[in-house]
Amino acid sequence: MATITDRPAPTATGNGPAKRKRSKAVSLSERRPGFTVYGILIAFILGSAFPFYWSFLVASHDDATFTADAPLLPGGRFFVNAGRVLDTIPFWKALGNSVIVSGTVTISVVVLSTLAGFAFAKLRFKGRGPLMVFVVATLAVPTQLGIIPLYMVMAEYGWSGTLGAVIVPNLVTAFGVFWMRQYIADAVPDELIEAARMDGCSMIRTFWHVCLPAVRPAAAMLGIFTFMMSWNDFLWPLIVLNADNPTMQVALEKLQSGYYVDKTLVLAGTTMATVPILIVFLVLGRQIVAGIMQGAVKG
Amino acid sequence: MRYRRAGLAKVLACTAVLAAVATACGSGGSGTSPDGKVELTIATFNEFGYEELLKEYEAANPNVKVTQRKTGQAAPHHQNLFTKLGAGSGLADVEAVEEGFLSQVMAKSGQFENLKEIGPKDVREDRWLQWKVDAVTTKDDKLIGYGTDIGPLAMCYRKDMLEAAGLPSDAEGVKALFATWDSYFQAGDTYVQKTGKPWFDSAAQIFNPMHNQEDTGYFDRDDKLVIETNGDKKIFDQVTGAVARGQSAKLSAWSPEWQKGFKESAFATKTCPSWMLGVIEGNAGPEHKGKWAVTAAFPGGGGNWGGSFLTVPKQGKNKAEAAKLAAWLTAPEQQIKAFKAKGTFPSQTEALISPELLNQTSEYFGGEKVGMLFSEQANKVAAAQYKGPKDGEIQDNVVSPALTSVEQGTSPEEAWKQVIEGAKKAAK
Amino acid sequence: MTTELSVARGRGAEPRPPRRDDNDDIGPGKLSLRYRLNRLDVKVSPYLYIAPFFVLFAVVGLFPLLYTAYISLFEWELGADEQPFIGIENYTALLADSQFWNAMVNTFSIFAISTFPQVVIAVLLAALLNTALRGRTGWRMGVLLPYVASLVALTIIFGDLFGVQYGTINNVIEFFGFDRIDWQAERWWSHVAIATMVNWRWTGYNALIVLAAMQAIPRDVYEAAWVDGASKVRQFLSITLPMLRPTLIFVIVTSTIGGLQIFTEPLLFSPSAGANGGATNQYQTVVLYMYQAGFQSQDLGYASAMAWVLFIVIIAIAGINFLLTRRLASSGEA
Repeated sequence: MATITDRPAPTATGNGPAKRKRSKAVSLSERRPGFTVYGILIAFILGSAFPFYWSFLVASHDDATFTADAPLLPGGRFFVNAGRVLDTIPFWKALGNSVIVSGTVTISVVVLSTLAGFAFAKLRFKGRGPLMVFVVATLAVPTQLGIIPLYMVMAEYGWSGTLGAVIVPNLVTAFGVFWMRQYIADAVPDELIEAARMDGCSMIRTFWHVCLPAVRPAAAMLGIFTFMMSWNDFLWPLIVLNADNPTMQVALEKLQSGYYVDKTLVLAGTTMATVPILIVFLVLGRQIVAGIMQGAVKG
Repeated sequence: MRYRRAGLAKVLACTAVLAAVATACGSGGSGTSPDGKVELTIATFNEFGYEELLKEYEAANPNVKVTQRKTGQAAPHHQNLFTKLGAGSGLADVEAVEEGFLSQVMAKSGQFENLKEIGPKDVREDRWLQWKVDAVTTKDDKLIGYGTDIGPLAMCYRKDMLEAAGLPSDAEGVKALFATWDSYFQAGDTYVQKTGKPWFDSAAQIFNPMHNQEDTGYFDRDDKLVIETNGDKKIFDQVTGAVARGQSAKLSAWSPEWQKGFKESAFATKTCPSWMLGVIEGNAGPEHKGKWAVTAAFPGGGGNWGGSFLTVPKQGKNKAEAAKLAAWLTAPEQQIKAFKAKGTFPSQTEALISPELLNQTSEYFGGEKVGMLFSEQANKVAAAQYKGPKDGEIQDNVVSPALTSVEQGTSPEEAWKQVIEGAKKAAK
Repeated sequence: MTTELSVARGRGAEPRPPRRDDNDDIGPGKLSLRYRLNRLDVKVSPYLYIAPFFVLFAVVGLFPLLYTAYISLFEWELGADEQPFIGIENYTALLADSQFWNAMVNTFSIFAISTFPQVVIAVLLAALLNTALRGRTGWRMGVLLPYVASLVALTIIFGDLFGVQYGTINNVIEFFGFDRIDWQAERWWSHVAIATMVNWRWTGYNALIVLAAMQAIPRDVYEAAWVDGASKVRQFLSITLPMLRPTLIFVIVTSTIGGLQIFTEPLLFSPSAGANGGATNQYQTVVLYMYQAGFQSQDLGYASAMAWVLFIVIIAIAGINFLLTRRLASSGEA
C-alpha cells in the first residue's frame, strides 16, 4: 500500500522527526553565537523597528511642537491623541470587524492551504502537476483591475456591504497552497505517511495526525503572513464595505480627511491599530518557536 | 493543548460566519426599510460639514433615513465612485464629486440624473454663482450636480521675506507686485536677485491658475484638443522662463518635501485658494504665525481652484428623494452652517453675502478678514472655462509632470514636446 | 516531535486494527468492502482536499479573469455609454506604446536590484537566526516588523529619508562631501530608492520563510558532517542550501511574481504625483501604468490588455526562474 507516496523526498529520507535523536554532542551550530551575530541582528532590528518608534514618537507629541522641531524622545501626549482618534472614528467597531475578518481568513487559509498543500505534496492523483502549475499561475494575475468584476460578483450575490464580502474572496490563497506544498514536500517524510496508512489511518486521519503536527512552524508562519495581509488590506474593504461598518484600515483612512493632515492624529491611529498585530505576533511567535524547538538541543 | 486550540478556532470561525450573516441581513441596498422609511445614502470625502445637517434633515423629514458614507481623502472616494460606475451598482444615492474629477464625470453624464428634471422645481440656477453652474452643465443643457463649495483664489505671501528683499509687504504695496503675471514674475526676479532664494513653490502651482484664466482650456467646445493653438504655450514659456531664472523652489505640491518647505521658508509666495490657508497654517507651524499674509490682489484677476458638487447617479433607487436631499443640503442656509462647521467656502450667491461669512477673520494671517476677501474673489471669477473629457488627466498626468521635469533639468522645448505628445495620447 | 508521532500512531491504531491483521480476523466480504472504501479514500481524498481552492477560485477568481480578457477586446471606457468592440487593437496599440516599454524596463530594473540581493540577504539572515540565540522568538519576530508597518507611516518616513532637498540620506551624503542625489529626477537613483523600500519591507519576511525550512533540516545530518570535519561554510553550502531547494524555489518564484507586479512602493514614492511614476515616468512600473490607464484614464480595455500581456511575461519569467533555481540549488548536492 505504498502507492500513495510521492517520489522519495531527496533530502529528508530516513531522517524524519521520529528518528531525530537528541545528540549528546553539542554541534557547532548550537554554540552560542558571538557578538558579530548579535551586532548584525541588532542593526537589522533597529532598522526594522524604526517606523514604529517614529510613529509612536510623532503620536506622542502635540502637532504644533512636532512641526516646530523634531524631537527624539517621546512626549506625553499619546493618550490625548489616542482619545482624539477614538472620538473621530468608530475604533472599537473597526477593531472588532478587523479581528473577525482577519481571524476567520487566517484560520481558513491555514487549514485549507495545508490540506491542499498536503494533497499536492504527498498524494498521487491524476492532473496533479498541471493543477499545481495552475495554482501558481493564478499568483501571476495582476489583481488591481479585478476589483470591478469582483464587485459585480459580490453585488450579484448581495454580499456587498457585509463582512462576508471581505472574508470570502480570501478564504484560501494560491500563495498558501504553494507555500504549504513546498514545505510539506520535504518536512513530512513519506515513511511516516506510509506508516500511518499501514496502521489503517484514513487519509484525513493521516493528515490530521501526521502532517499537521509536522507543519506547525510553516502553518504558524502562514498564519502570521495571512493575518497581516488581511489586516492591512485597504482598497477592497473600502469599496465593498459600508462606511458605517468598516475594517480598521478603512476607518483609519478617515483620520486623513481635510487638506492639512495632522500627523500626530494619523500616526496615533496607526500605532493603536498595530498593537493587536503585535499581540498576534507574540502569540503565534511562541507557537513557531515551540513547534520548531521540540527535539532541538538545549543550548 | 492541540484540541483546545482547534476548539477555539472553531468557535471563532463560527462567530465570524454568524456575524457575516447577521450583517448581511441587517443591511440591504438603499431603498425602503421595513418600517416604510425611505433610506438614502450620501457619499462624501474630506469634510463637508454635513453631520449635524443630516440629523436636521431627518428631523424635518421623519419618513427619511440618511446614512453618510465618509471617505477621508478625495482619491479613494473617486476610485470607489469610478469602480462602481464601471460595475453598474453600489453607488450611494447622492455622490459628491470634486472639481478635479469633474471632467471625467461630465464625460459620463449619461450615468447621472439631470437635476433639472428630477430635482425640486423651486431650485433655481441663480442660487449659485453662474460659473459654478456652468461647470456642471452638459453641452445638451443637463445639470448633473448641485454646487456645494468653491475655492476662490487669492495670493499668500511671506511679509518678512518680502521685506528682507526690499519689496513692499503691506496690503497696499503688494497690489502692484501682484497686479499681472508679468509684474508677479518681475517681482520674483527682484526677489531672487536680492535674496538668492526662490519665489514660488513649484511651476505647476503657477501654471494651473494661469491656464484656468484663459478663455479656452485644453479642449474647445467641440472637444477638439487645442493645446497647440490656445494660450498655453505662452504660459508654459513664461513659467519655465521663471524656473530658469531661479524662481521655483522645485517642491511638488503635497509631497513631504513641499510640506517641509513651508517650515523651511523655502519660498515667499503661494497661489492660495481659500482652503489653502489651513494647509499653510498646519505646515508652516506656529513659529510662522503672523509672518504669512493673504491678499485679494491676484495676478490676472481671480480664479477658482477646488470645490465640489453633489450628483445623483442613475443606478440609485430613490432618485427623486436623493435629489431633494442634495437640493436641501446645497441651499445657502445649510451651506453657511457647513461653512461654520468645517470651513467649506460656499458657492451660493446668498451665502456669500451672509454676515457670518463676511465677518470671518484669520488670526494666523494677521487678523485678515478672510471671509470678505474670498467672497470678493469668488465674485471676480469670470466665466467657467470649458473642460473637455480628458481635461483633468492632461492637467495631472501630462502638463504638471512636464513642468516638474523642467524643474528637474529637462529643457523647456523637450518638455513642451512631451506635453503635446502626452495630450494627444490622452485625447485619442 | 517524537511524542506527537507516537500519539498519532497510537490513536490511528485504536478505532480499527491495523490492516495486516485483516486477513486473519475478518471475512473476505468485509475485506473487500473495506478495501473498496480505502481505494475510494485514496482516489477521492486528494480532490476533496484541493477542492476548496478551486471552488473558491471558480466563484471569485475566474469571473474577474475572464471579464478582464473579454473587455481587453473592447474600447471599454469605465462607465461610458458605449463600449465598441475593437478586437486585438488594444494589444497592437500596447506593443507600439513607448510608455509601456519604458514601464517594462523600469519594472525589470527595479525587480533585478531588489529581488536578487533580497534573497541572498534573506538566506544569510536566516542562517544567523538559526543559531542558538538568546531570546529566539524576539529576534525572529523582530525581523518581520517591516511587514507590519502601516503604509501611511512608511510614506512619510521614506519621504523624509529620500527627500531631494531636506532628506536625511542626502544630508548624510553631503556631510561626507559628496553631491546630493536627485532621487526623484534621476532614473537609476529612483530605482535604487524604490528597491531599498522593497528590500526593507520584504527581506525579513523571506528570511523567516527560509528559516522555517532550515529548521526542518534534521540535525543529525549536520552532526555527521561535523564528525567528518566539514567547515561551517562547507556545511552551509553542501547541506543547508541543497536542502532548502523547495523553499528557495518558493521564495524565488513568489518574489519574481511579486516583483514583476511591483506597485505599492513606486506609488508611495511619489504620493503627490499619483500613478505617474515620476515626471517623465522614470519609475513607472507596468502595474502602475496599468492602474493609471484603468482608473485615471479610465481606459479599462487598454488596462486589461496590459494585465494580460504582463501575466504572460510573468509566467514566462517565473518558468525560466524555476528551471534556473532548480539547477542552481541542486548543483550543490553532489
